[in-house]
Order: sequence, then structure tokens, then C-alpha cells
Amino acid sequence: MKHGGRWDVRTSGLRRLAWELQRRTSVEVLLEARPMSLDSPKLFEHPFLYLSSDGDFPSFSASEVENLRRYLTFGGFLFADANDGSDGAGFDAAVRRELGRVLPQTPLAALPLTHVIFKSFFLLDSAPGRFLNKTTVEACVLNKRAAVVYSQNDVLGALNRDEAGTWEYEPSPGGTRQRELATRLALNLAMYSLCLDYKDDAVHLPLIMNRRR
Amino acid sequence: MESHDTLQLVSLSPVPSWALVALSLAAVFGVGFACWGVRHEASRRRKWLMWSLRVLAGVCALFFLLEPGLRRLQVARVKNRVAVLVDRSGSMAFPVEPKAGSRNDAVADAIAKLSPEFQAMGDRYAFDVFGFDPELGAVTVEQLRAQPPLANRTDLFGALRAVKAGDSGGARKLAGVILFSDGADNADLASGLGERPRAMLEQLGVPVTTVAVGKGGLTDLSIDAVKVDDFAFVRNSISADVEVHGRGFKDQAVQVVLKREGAIVATKSTTFTSNDETQTVKFTFTPDQTGRFVYTVTVPTYPEEVVAENNTRSFALKVIRDRVRVLLVAGRPTWDERFLRGVLRQDANVELISFYILRNGSDDSGVPAGLEQQELSLIPFPRDEIFQKKIDTFDVIVVLNFGHEDSSISLAQYRRDIEHYVEQGGAFAYLGGDRSFGEAQATSMNPFERVLPVTTAGPGDFSPFIAKLTAAGQRHPITALAVGGTSSEAAWAAFPAIPGMNLTRARADATVLLAHPTTLVDGKPAPLLTIAEQGRGRVLAISTDASWYWAFPSHASGAPTRNYERFWSNAIRWLVRDPDLTTLSVTADPSSVEPGKPVGVVVVARLPDYQPAPGAKVVVELVDANDGRVVGTQTAEAGADGTLRIEFPPPPPGAYKVNARATKDEKPLGEGTDAVAVRAVGPELADARVNAPLLEAIAKATGGAFFDSVNFTLSDVPLREPPLVEVGRSRDEAVWDRWYWLTLLVVLLGLEWAVRRRFGYV
Repeated sequence: MKHGGRWDVRTSGLRRLAWELQRRTSVEVLLEARPMSLDSPKLFEHPFLYLSSDGDFPSFSASEVENLRRYLTFGGFLFADANDGSDGAGFDAAVRRELGRVLPQTPLAALPLTHVIFKSFFLLDSAPGRFLNKTTVEACVLNKRAAVVYSQNDVLGALNRDEAGTWEYEPSPGGTRQRELATRLALNLAMYSLCLDYKDDAVHLPLIMNRRR
Repeated sequence: MESHDTLQLVSLSPVPSWALVALSLAAVFGVGFACWGVRHEASRRRKWLMWSLRVLAGVCALFFLLEPGLRRLQVARVKNRVAVLVDRSGSMAFPVEPKAGSRNDAVADAIAKLSPEFQAMGDRYAFDVFGFDPELGAVTVEQLRAQPPLANRTDLFGALRAVKAGDSGGARKLAGVILFSDGADNADLASGLGERPRAMLEQLGVPVTTVAVGKGGLTDLSIDAVKVDDFAFVRNSISADVEVHGRGFKDQAVQVVLKREGAIVATKSTTFTSNDETQTVKFTFTPDQTGRFVYTVTVPTYPEEVVAENNTRSFALKVIRDRVRVLLVAGRPTWDERFLRGVLRQDANVELISFYILRNGSDDSGVPAGLEQQELSLIPFPRDEIFQKKIDTFDVIVVLNFGHEDSSISLAQYRRDIEHYVEQGGAFAYLGGDRSFGEAQATSMNPFERVLPVTTAGPGDFSPFIAKLTAAGQRHPITALAVGGTSSEAAWAAFPAIPGMNLTRARADATVLLAHPTTLVDGKPAPLLTIAEQGRGRVLAISTDASWYWAFPSHASGAPTRNYERFWSNAIRWLVRDPDLTTLSVTADPSSVEPGKPVGVVVVARLPDYQPAPGAKVVVELVDANDGRVVGTQTAEAGADGTLRIEFPPPPPGAYKVNARATKDEKPLGEGTDAVAVRAVGPELADARVNAPLLEAIAKATGGAFFDSVNFTLSDVPLREPPLVEVGRSRDEAVWDRWYWLTLLVVLLGLEWAVRRRFGYV
């Protein structure tokens, strides 16, 4: 999502996510992410929206707030990712401020690790990114659907590569294993946006519960 | 009313009663005191003599105090009524016993035989003979013999109440009731004499003497009752308890057959262990279609049976769906799948079962070998179980962008299962995508083309377009997003453009509802939404995987609509043949008709936009469900509200379909159907038994007598005594003022004085 701050610091991470989706799942993707502003007429053709920055960003305009509210209300999915790993300042403060305007009745709340997001493709018991500041993610839930998922761990930071093709950041504290888990979390989020609570269907539950033991 | 005299002993004393009581006590005291005075007398003889004289003197004194006299009264006894009730229901035409006369004739003979006794008791009772059918009416023996009993109902309690009601206000009181019946009540007392009827009978206040007409020993096989719910859920089992009554069938096995409109559903056998027994045969069956159907239970008819017509019993069963059970299988997660899942999950009338292929065989999950079970949430796709074992449990199967090149996930091997499912009434929706129609190739690889309404016509067309309603689409309920064809057209035109479609061609018998506005296939607009009837099922194809553009992107303009939800709701309802989604509603009213009654049909005709169709020309046919023969045809016009009620003359017993079709201004409005069961016999003739226990219970509850045959005498019938009433003047004659009573008193007193003096007590 384009905004007034540094919105494009994880472009290669998005490309990596698309590639991983293509490689690991049956989902067909376009490898290049489409940058989109909130007032773009094409916004509603892309139900998965990635919002990130490595710091504060300016407030959305009133029309952008209204558009994002409609986007989320009618089925869109927003993944907000704090590239700076901030807590109470920087991106964290900005995103909480803007989401408070967009969905004032639905504040962010921590998702339990039993939520379907943690089993939509991979079985996960944490939500790591480049950091491991928080053990889980937060979400705004509309009609039992997590319309917004917010991570303070810079999930796509673990997938970002520089122009030379090397990993841009070393995940901390888990290193390579943490990068894999961050990738899996990102894939699970994409899968959740496509399948919703499919893995909560009765047919899946016994098997998944058995595997989690 | 004849009068006569009667005498009563009365007191003529003018002294007030209290004074008489006081004087009487004084006399008793005087006698006692005198006796007390001679208690020491040694001679018992003397003592008894003095006591006797004093007692006699006291009695004489009391006699004069009371001044007794005789009252001569002229009285008469009021004649009471006795109601003789005769059951005139159809079952009274059954024989009393095998090869004997009818029960009705036995009653006529019995009343004729009792007539002399009626006359003999005529000074006290008036015997009125009534027949009840179930209305009460005076009847004579001659009428009983001349007019066979025909009533289709036996209401003993109602007849007794009617007799009692006629008792109020009349000079003649009801002294009793004599009831001739076989006891085969099929009204309030059908299930016996419960507490409430018993209490009400006790309140009648007159003895009811019951006479059971008829004996056992009849040979008859009957279906007494079929206990089944009024409706069933499609593809869910339902039980029907059939009560088969056998009389004279001890140790015989009887075949019980359940049919649905001529087709055998199940057959069972039951064996009777006695000569009068009811066996309950339970049938469990699974309706596979929605709608109303007539089921018929039949037992064989034997030549020696009293009633043949009660060997068959029909009932109408309405088969409805519970929640629509939708199976959604997706070849891969897509936005089309995501928004379709969203709309189906939100629909309270839909139970969604879904399977998505999340990983192809060539995909590398990145999980080390051996750890997939621990780290992946994927489960095997249970294809055999779904498409072979449980396919019939689904109302609708939606296949979305499913590929057929990869044999590990292909559904091609279940082609015949799906074809059979559709042919037998299932619903199949096939949605497009890069894999659905020939893997985006020009040549078809679709294994389901035999049941689909379209076939592959070439590679996909990826130019954005806005779908256009066809002429059929403008009036079809699936594409009716608003009231009226024009409004629906506008609603479809307001949807955003979708980015591409599969090129298909419609089957000859298919209906295209939406099409590409410009791209042609075989000279016709390329179909986008196509439907067809396939066997007993329905199929639908959407030649794109971008129908989700009618959902999420349609909200971009800021004008929220629920048209995507409405479209899928319409589509699911059409696929499962929702009765409300027809323009012609046909209802048999009632759905089960008693013999001899007309068959009523209510038709509601609507225009394609579901507005009432006043003046619509409706043709209704009554068709024998067993052989398809048209029994009757009627044509009429719907009223201002599109509603029409017609009646067919009473048809023979059996199962019938009511088929209707309607036109308005020469344009067809649709067709509809319903089912109706015409019973062979009503409840009256279905039961040939003699219910003596019920008659005995009635007699016991009212203080009457019970006779198990018509051979009885009136002297054994308890009747209330008629009361006496004073009808003339009375005259009193004194009997105390005679000289000899006074002489007796003087002699007794004098004698006692003399005796006392002699014995030394004076």
C-alpha cells in the first residue's frame, strides 16, 4: 500500500513471498506486487493488501480512511508489518493511530495461537519475523474474519533480499530457522486470506488436533 | 297419565310440634318413673304386669296427643323417556358373524322383538328409537331394514350428548338409554374411554345400557393406521409404522408392500400369532427427491375377507430439505473460491463441506521429509469417500477450477459417479478457470462434459467485459437480482467488468442466462452462465473463475449491494428445486382425500418477475400416478391475485399427481406439480371389529347394563323410576276421635290403679 511514508522497503520480501507461494502451494500468483494507493480505483481488484514502513507515516486522508474501511468491511485483507519492529513509536504508533480511525469499533487484539491463521497451511506455535518481539500477531476481527493482521516482528524483513540477492537481515534471535518460520507465517497469512477458516472445518480438526499433541 | 288414590297416615293435632315433642317426652318420663317405682317388687310377674299396663297407658296418651288421621291423595305417575339409539354407520353393514346377516338387520330384529315389552311398559316409559349417522334422527324398524347404514363416521359420545341435550326442559325425563352399536367408534372414543370422556359420561346422569352388535370370528385383514410424520428431509431416512390388523389369520405370514406412486419402495412380512391381533410393521426409507409424494401401503386381499378396501392405505409425504448440503471442491485457493466460500458460509440455509487442493504433487512445501505430518496441516483428499460413498448426501456439488491433468487430484475417475448423481436428482455446478475447461487449451479435457450444459470451445478470452443478460436471463429466477427484468438487467450492467472467461459453447438443450457482450462462439454470444436439466437433476456452468468480481470489486464504487449473495442464493435454490422458486405453485388441498370427496387444487401463478399473474390461463391435469393416465383436465383463469382453486370430481381410490401449466398472453409461466392420495375407505370401513370393551366401559361409567348380544329383556335394563305427582285434591279423615280409643285409655288407667292398689303401691 502506498502511503506518505516509506512504503516500499519490503518489495523484495513481497516478491519472495509470492515465489514461496508458487513453490510451496497450489496458489497461482503474479510474482510482482502491485503498488496501490488507497484511493486507487483498482484497489478492490486486489483483496490482499500489505501495509508496512520502517517508521512513522502521515495520516490517511478522510477519503482514504473511508475507502480502507469499505475495503476491509466487504472482504479485503490487510497485513500490516512493522518493518522497524517498533512498539509504541514509529510504525507501531502510526498504524495503531490509523487503524483506530478506520475501524474505531474494532480495535487490534492479540490472536491466540489456536487461531486458524496458525494452521492454514503450516502448523505454527509462534509468529516470528525478522524479530521475535511478540509471540503472536494482533488482528481486527470483522464478522469472525480477521480483516487486519498486524505483526510487530517485521515478517517480510526476514524474506527481504538486497540487490545482490543475499538476505538483507539476519533474523534475531533464531537465525535461519526463524527465517523459515517467518516465511511459513507469511504463507499462512496469504493462505488465510484465500481460504478463510477452511482449516477450522470439522473435517480437518481431528487430524490437526492429533498432530498438535 | 292415569290417576289413582293413595292414603297417607298423618297427625291432625293442632298443637304445635314443639309442644307435641315436650308432651311426648313427659309421657315417656311418666312411664319410666312409674316403672322405677316398682323396681323392688319381688314378683317378676307383678312387676311386668304393672310395667305393661303403664306403657300401654302411655301409648294411648300419646295417641290422643298426636291425633292421627288418614290423608287421601289423588296422584299420577309421570311417564319417562327411554332413548333407543341405533348406530347407522357403515360398519353396521358388516355381518354379525361369518355367513350371517348384517349387524344392522340384527338390530332391527332385536327392536322388533322388544316392541311388546316396550308396549307393556308403556304406562311408565315412552321408548323413542333414534338412528345416529352421526346426526340423531327418529327411525323405525321398517326404515332400519329398508335403508342400509352408510354413515362414514361413528360418534357414540356425540350421539349420547345429543340425546341428553334433548332431555332439557321437557316434561318427560330421560330414564335411560339403550345403545345398539358395534362400538367401532372413530371419533372421540376411538382410542378408548379416557378419563375425560368417562367423567363426561358420568355427568349424563342416566344409565346407558349398551348392546354389542356383532361377534368375533370375521376374517379380515386391514391396515388400521400408518404412523408417519407429515414431512421428511430429503436424503434422510424416515420411518413409517404400519399397523396391520389380522382377524382369522393366525400363524399366517402376510406381505406388506410400501410403494411410492407405483414403484415398490420396500416389502416386509409379518406373521400373526393369534386370530385377532395387530402387528406393527416398521418401514424405514430414504426419500431422494424433494416435493410431495403419495406412498401406498398394501397387504394382499383374500377372498374370505369382510372388507377388501381396507387392505390399502395411502398417505402423502412432503419431502423437504433440511439445510442445503453443499460440497465445494476447489482445484486451488483462488479469490473466486474465497468469496464463494464467504457467501456460502454466511448463508444459514447452507451446510458447507469443502475440500481445496492446497498443494500439488509437484509443489515443495519446504518441510524436510518425514516432518510433513508434524509441520503441515494438510490432510489427504478423501476422493473415494466423497464421490463414491457419500455423494448422495450432498444436495449440490460445486467444482471450482479443478484440473484433470494431474491424476493424483483429478476427478475424472469419478465421472460416472457424478453423472449418476446428477441423473438421479443431484445438482452440479461447474465453475471455470485456467484448469476447468481443457486446462486453458483449445481441446477439451473435461471429463464431465456429458452432464455439463457447455463444452469447451477454445482457449480463454482475456479481454475484460461486462456480462450481458440474455433474453432467458431477463426472466430467470437465478439472474433475478431485482424485481422486474429491467431492474435485473440494470443490476447486472452495474457489475464491474470481469477480466476474462473460458470460451465454451452451450449444449442444444441448455439455457444461457449470461453471455459475453461481443465475443461469439459458433455465431452466438459466448455463454458465461449456462444451465440445463439433466435427467432428474440440474446443472449449472460459469465459464470464468472471476465471478468474485461481482462481489468484492463491486463495492469499490461505494454503493454496497448484496447482488453477489443474491445471485448465489438464487442459483443454489434453483439447483435444489426450491419450491418457492417457481412461477407456478400447485398445491393439492387437502393432500389426502377421503373416498367420495372431490380433489381440490390451489394454483398460484406468478409472472417471471414473481408478481401475481391475474388472468393467467391455467391447465390442471389429474394424473394417475401409477400408470400416467390422465383422469381429468380442467382449464380456468387465475384471479386478480394470481390464485385459482379448482375441484375434480371424486376419482377412484389411488395415488394421483396434479400437474399444472400456465400461460399469460400466450407466454408460458411455468409448470408445477403436487401429489394427492385418495383413500380407498374412510376410517369407518377400515375397521371391521366389534369393540365390546368400549361399550362395556360406557355402560359401567353410567350405571347401565352391558349385553354382548341382542338377546336380552327389558326387565334387565336399569331405568330410572318415573316420579309420582299430586294431580287432585286431598282429604283428611280423623281416626283418633272414636269412643273405643277413649274407653281403652280409661280401662288401662283404671286397671293399672286397681293393680297397684291390690299390690300395695297406692
